[in-house]
Amino acid sequence: MRVSFQHIGNMWVGLKAVADRIGFDMVVPPITSQRTLALGARYSPEMVCLPFKLTLGNMIESLELGADTLITIGQYGPCRFGYYHRVQEVILRDLGYEFELLKQSSGMLRMIRYFTGGASLREIFLAFRFGLAKLKALDDVERLVHKVRAVEQVKGSASQVFRDATRAIDEAKNYRAIKQAKLLHLQKLRDIPTISSVNPLKIGVVGEFFVVVDPFANMDVEIELGKLGVQVERPQSVLEWLDFNPFTLLLGLREKERSFKAAKPYLSRYIGGDGLQTVGEKVLHAKDWDGLVHIEPFGCLPEIMARNIMPSTVEQLPVLNLMFDEHTGRAGVINRLEAFVDMIKRKQKSHLDMRV
Amino acid sequence: MNIGIPRALLYYQYFPMWKTFFEGLGGEIVISPPTTKDIIASGASRVVADTCLPVKVFLGHVLSLIGKCDYIFIPTIRSLKSKIYNCSKFLGLPEMTRAVITDCPPILDVTIDMNKGMRNIYRAIDKLGRCFTRNTSDIKRASLDAWQVHLDYRRLMYQQSFIPPRAMETIAGLDDAGGSSSGTETSYGSPASTEPAIALIGHPYLLYDEYLNHRLIHRLEKAGNRVLTPEMLTSEELESASVKLAGTTYWTYGEEVVGAGEHYLREGADGIIGVLTFGCGPDSLMMEMVRRRASKLKTTPFMSIVLEEHTAETGIITRLEAFLDMINRRKRDGR
Repeated sequence: MRVSFQHIGNMWVGLKAVADRIGFDMVVPPITSQRTLALGARYSPEMVCLPFKLTLGNMIESLELGADTLITIGQYGPCRFGYYHRVQEVILRDLGYEFELLKQSSGMLRMIRYFTGGASLREIFLAFRFGLAKLKALDDVERLVHKVRAVEQVKGSASQVFRDATRAIDEAKNYRAIKQAKLLHLQKLRDIPTISSVNPLKIGVVGEFFVVVDPFANMDVEIELGKLGVQVERPQSVLEWLDFNPFTLLLGLREKERSFKAAKPYLSRYIGGDGLQTVGEKVLHAKDWDGLVHIEPFGCLPEIMARNIMPSTVEQLPVLNLMFDEHTGRAGVINRLEAFVDMIKRKQKSHLDMRV
Repeated sequence: MNIGIPRALLYYQYFPMWKTFFEGLGGEIVISPPTTKDIIASGASRVVADTCLPVKVFLGHVLSLIGKCDYIFIPTIRSLKSKIYNCSKFLGLPEMTRAVITDCPPILDVTIDMNKGMRNIYRAIDKLGRCFTRNTSDIKRASLDAWQVHLDYRRLMYQQSFIPPRAMETIAGLDDAGGSSSGTETSYGSPASTEPAIALIGHPYLLYDEYLNHRLIHRLEKAGNRVLTPEMLTSEELESASVKLAGTTYWTYGEEVVGAGEHYLREGADGIIGVLTFGCGPDSLMMEMVRRRASKLKTTPFMSIVLEEHTAETGIITRLEAFLDMINRRKRDGR
């Protein structure tokens, strides 16, 4: 049995660690590329959203590498994401691939036990803890990367360190190695020469989870913002999504629950996907962010609802909306980001002038 | 108290029920006029461009009710079966309406969520009734009457093969004439007839909004076809067919597409037309399931019509004519 999965941001680092620990055969699909997108888009229904196309592309590429068992994470809910795997299964079978599809709906634990080849609960728990530790280390590095990108003297240095860090953390064999890799790269980031005189703008990147955490899908929005001297704040991450820590959940400490609460006056119910969180983040961070870049795949149901509701909030915050699908051009995205950042700067300047 | 009901989205499924309920509690019903170009334009002007057409139409209807009623009834149907949810657009409908139409009359909102159990639903209905009266037994009576009317309405459709507008007329007629089953006893529901049967699959707010779908049913009937719709099947038939094609239903109103599609692909229809709107999330996947099944079975021809604001009538007519020609040729050749 050769197990494979679909890419969601940097989740592969964690899953690979799980496979290494337990010792079952896992095919990591090639990092999402233009080819993945082209393959996915060719066989997808025309009106479906971008994550469907990308994950279908991932599935095809891992089947090409000899995978015979695919893990999907579809469940139930109002968003299309949970329904993906049923259509993807039909499409792949029509293409002639033979494979087994594991669905989360048959029970998360049973699914994990199946694809790990009947590993014991203790083994599974320890392996997943190890995987999460890697994701945690990556998140810690990435948070500093966002800060450094805004002020680095040579653009691209922080991104280079982040790439190295990803590789080092991925290769780490034990907790100590993870910690060392993390500390080493945090130090490297601090050593990057910075422009000290500027006080960078703080812009939040929120929206549909998949596109937010996948740099290919969002055309490196964070890097482009960094080039413009903006410090990116990104509350959503794979780690946050996988975090089932009962304490943070119960106490409502997670960013997600806090944003749900903040959204209450404007949208009091869960509408699927991340629509509710998007509205909430705007309200929650109206004071401490200078702007918000709202990203979503074209045609995303919950985010369209969020986009309709957001302008009516009392809390004001400039919002730029970016939609992504296979026809999105990088130049168009960069152009709009530049204009958005210019607008915020001009607005803040005119406020200062008025005060004087 | 005047209660405005927009002639859009869930209207076609539940209007007789809502009417009985509100009138039983002493309210008066105001329905928005049938969809027009202006209604769509006014609704579309309030929301972002890629909002789906049915929601734009809905908002247009809400706008047309402003000044004509004291309240507007916008229910939230979250879930009708455990773990099966409705599409995002339905879940946030009252809140979105409030956000984009600031001069909207107060919204009467009831949340139906089967995941929280029947008691929760009873409580929600009771709360809705309390806007009219404090008398609990009145509310109970009105809701039981309403449910009975809904069952009658559904029965008219799956037993006598009435399409919803005709079933609504009949129910209203029963009300006035005191029980005589007068009305339009036409050829519907006589499967022995030789004319081709064309099944329409899709959501009621597309199939029965004549302006939106460019009088599709009328055109089909005029061309000598018998029209079948998802409402003419019992919910058991819909559910079992739906499970056969795509496993348990995923969206609350998914059976109208997947269930009806699978059922009519197997029996009863000479051709199937899937009607959907551009940008509809659930339909983008469910129609694909039906389309792929149709191309695999190769028993019943399938065509889909995608509607949006810019859909031209001529385009639809041309495609419809070609499709019907093909069906007639197949029928003549005895295939």
